[in-house]
Amino acid sequence: MRKDNKKEISRRRFLKVSASAAATASVAGNTQILYALTTKGSAKSTGVQSNIEKKFSLCDMCFNKCGLIARVEDGIVKKLDPNPKVLKSRGMLCARGNAGIQRVYDPDRLKYPLLRKGARGEGKWQRLSWDQALDLAAEKLEKIGGEYTRCGTLFMAGSDMQSKFVHRFAEAYGSYNIISHESNCLVSRNRAFLDTYGEMPIPDVLNSKYIIMPGSNRFEALVTPDSIDLMSAIRKECKLVVIDPRYTKTAAMAHEWYAIKPGTDMAFLLALMHVMIDEKIYNTDFVKNKTNGFAELTQHVKKYSPRWAEKECQIPAAAIARMARELAAAAPAAMVYPGRRTSDYTDSTQIRRANAIVNALLGNWDQPGGFVVAQKIHLGNIPFEPDFYEDNPDDRVDVNRSPMMFDTEGAYKHARDAVIEGNPYPIKAFFTYKTNPMQTGANRQKTIEMINRLDFMLSIDIMMSDTAWMADLVLPAASYLERMDPYATQQGVSTGPCLVTRDPVIKPMFESKSALWIVRELARRLDLGMHFDFTMKQFKEAQIKKHPEAVKAIKKDGVYHQKSKVYGRYDGKPFKTLSKKVELFSKRYADAELDPMPVYKRPKKIPSGRFQLVVGRSAAITQGSTTNNKLLRELVSENELWLHPDSAEKLGIRNGDRVLVSSVVGKQKIRARLTREIRKDTVYMDTGFGVLSKGLTSVFGSGACIAELLEDRFDYISGNMAMHETLVSVRKI
Amino acid sequence: MQKKYAIVIDTLNCIDCKACLIACKVENKVPEGFWRNWIKPNAIGNALKTQYQPGQCMQCDDPSCVAACPVDATFKGKGGLVVIDQEKCIGCGNCVTACPYEARYRHPEKSVVDKCDFCAHRLAAGEEPACVETCPTKTRILGNLNDPDSKVNQLLKRNEYVRITNPLINTQPNIYYKKETDLLHWPKEPTLPGGIHMSPQFWKTKT
Repeated sequence: MRKDNKKEISRRRFLKVSASAAATASVAGNTQILYALTTKGSAKSTGVQSNIEKKFSLCDMCFNKCGLIARVEDGIVKKLDPNPKVLKSRGMLCARGNAGIQRVYDPDRLKYPLLRKGARGEGKWQRLSWDQALDLAAEKLEKIGGEYTRCGTLFMAGSDMQSKFVHRFAEAYGSYNIISHESNCLVSRNRAFLDTYGEMPIPDVLNSKYIIMPGSNRFEALVTPDSIDLMSAIRKECKLVVIDPRYTKTAAMAHEWYAIKPGTDMAFLLALMHVMIDEKIYNTDFVKNKTNGFAELTQHVKKYSPRWAEKECQIPAAAIARMARELAAAAPAAMVYPGRRTSDYTDSTQIRRANAIVNALLGNWDQPGGFVVAQKIHLGNIPFEPDFYEDNPDDRVDVNRSPMMFDTEGAYKHARDAVIEGNPYPIKAFFTYKTNPMQTGANRQKTIEMINRLDFMLSIDIMMSDTAWMADLVLPAASYLERMDPYATQQGVSTGPCLVTRDPVIKPMFESKSALWIVRELARRLDLGMHFDFTMKQFKEAQIKKHPEAVKAIKKDGVYHQKSKVYGRYDGKPFKTLSKKVELFSKRYADAELDPMPVYKRPKKIPSGRFQLVVGRSAAITQGSTTNNKLLRELVSENELWLHPDSAEKLGIRNGDRVLVSSVVGKQKIRARLTREIRKDTVYMDTGFGVLSKGLTSVFGSGACIAELLEDRFDYISGNMAMHETLVSVRKI
Repeated sequence: MQKKYAIVIDTLNCIDCKACLIACKVENKVPEGFWRNWIKPNAIGNALKTQYQPGQCMQCDDPSCVAACPVDATFKGKGGLVVIDQEKCIGCGNCVTACPYEARYRHPEKSVVDKCDFCAHRLAAGEEPACVETCPTKTRILGNLNDPDSKVNQLLKRNEYVRITNPLINTQPNIYYKKETDLLHWPKEPTLPGGIHMSPQFWKTKT
């Protein structure tokens, strides 16, 4: 009886829903899915018809921006699937991408503007209306601008498609103190490659036959398409060698893994050069025609033999020599992978210079399986002329602390020191958008110290991150599925450049607003409205004016791929360097009194009983931005201290014990995970735990904060944070 | 001809990123603490070469779970998929311990049993299962065994794949794994709840 009833209902529902689905299909003119035809999904609900739509967007769970298709039922996102048409992401979404739905619907979302009421970081907030919040922010910015000049406000925007509007606002407002997240990440790598090749290439992993990865972990620190291409490559004929103090999942998949002594990568790279030059197995044509300073390099690397390197980095000399030969034999479809995050050592630019130079000896530039020239599809803009503020200081606040800092990125380390010291001039306001230096910048206490020097701090975010938690005013941002974003260009390496964008998948929830809306409203209140006299739609039209074909393609496929030559783009062209060649020897460095070729400096000995703390990634975690995600917490709910069992035994620590980890800058309590997947002198923990923000209700109370422990050394050339220079002691609690 | 779905898994492609776990969890609203699919490592901690083996309900042709169900709530359905009629299921849990692959769980709120059905609703809509589609390295390949030209049949022809079964009970699973990888001998012997062993004949649905 009961059963028959059900059947009746479901037949009626079937008719109703299929009719509505058909209607949707005709409007969208695309393939709509008749889920009602099956026994699952919407058919379980009580006779309510589902309006199912599929919408293109781009993931925002990390920086990669993989293509996705959102399944939206009655205005609610039910599932995110990969968009197979976006060649950069190779038709995949990772665990974080799949958990994006939880980010959007997290009960911990910031819902309306909040004003700090208690002490900083105490967590007492008052709800404001948007008008109240924006009036207050504008008043503070006006006042601080008047007292401390417009440069008295430091702006920091993370990796986001709307960060450009925050930058635009900062410029219009009159501050040139704009920093990005990248000095906590990769600027030293970019510095080194730029200073060697004149630009930052992208590695053609897919077509490579031999890859050495020093310190990169592509199967956990996912980069599209490199991570996917790496698997395709090694399943064909590519050999993978991983050099890492940790047995990462990349090491687990590699043909060879060497647990290098931390901080000695340059010794390994110099020895590779030594063998290649000594045995004349480098690419003689390329070196002769396209490089500058080979004679100096030959002289320079004479002393860096594999036998010497073995003593430094603890990789057998014979293995180094063999790797050099194998690399050279596979060249030009071979590489020493440039990596991504290089915020590791005080000479991280020079380490990556060594990396860049080994690749130059292989002659893999502009070649399949080597380095590919990054291409951009040039987009239009709505230009503007910011006002000139006469009382502004002469230069950025983080200036003169590293000789070759990128002005476009700044240096978080230096800016923070400058704020604390009030030198060269005072900074009294901090404006952050979607960035969380409380978790990603080494030495959390110093970040707190900086924030305590401020008169006003404003954070725009979708969650109460630790950084937002410290702010005076917190403004709720729309998440990636709720907003329209500008067009952006990407490159799937061998598949060439493409254009992508975001259109809203659902309406913004609560009172959340896009960054553009927020800065436009602020600008209006500061009499700067003329610089934001456009809607996002108009901005996008200006961007895409010269590419009408792209608009069509993006509507149809969610992406526009431009056919273009990928290899051989430099044929007959000079390199964009001083010598117009690849700079093995850098005259610019010599002129700046920097080592013109990388000189190895032995890291300090790790005293017994101490450990070197290294930073790394898990495939389920994007630092602090995903650790509160309940779906992902089922994979990693807290971080653990990786400790070798032999080292643990000496300390009387058993697996799962709570331990106190101490460095010169901080202490944290964490559970120990005894594993042979790490060197005896090294320890590791994931980033993004040990949060201070009680607004992150899922992760609060879990694990330890690595930023609290990391010393804030810096790469002396680029100002990149150097996070692997920290020694810690560990004891059982 | 009726379709007969199978998945071929190239174990060596899996990087243990767990995209498939979260994709499945979202698609099928699997409750916190439970999973319809998994990734098994062949060694933890001190291995110098690790394999990760993904898996889920094997949609067996002679399913011991079906034999164990006292009310016929689970049966071989369309596409060769083992389905559960959750209206009929009494939640006794016989099928949970009967599965050699431990692919079933009792839903904590609904008190019925749940498991992977290769995303039958997606298949019906012409889509691949969530785990298959989202995988970065496309470790799982889904196809129709009744179509001689299907990708799975092309792969199986190469004779590089095997089924993994318990030596006592071959339930004739429809997931195939790369030969010469580890983790080919883990399926357990089916039991009834409480660890009660039955004669192999008890688990047979076919004579």
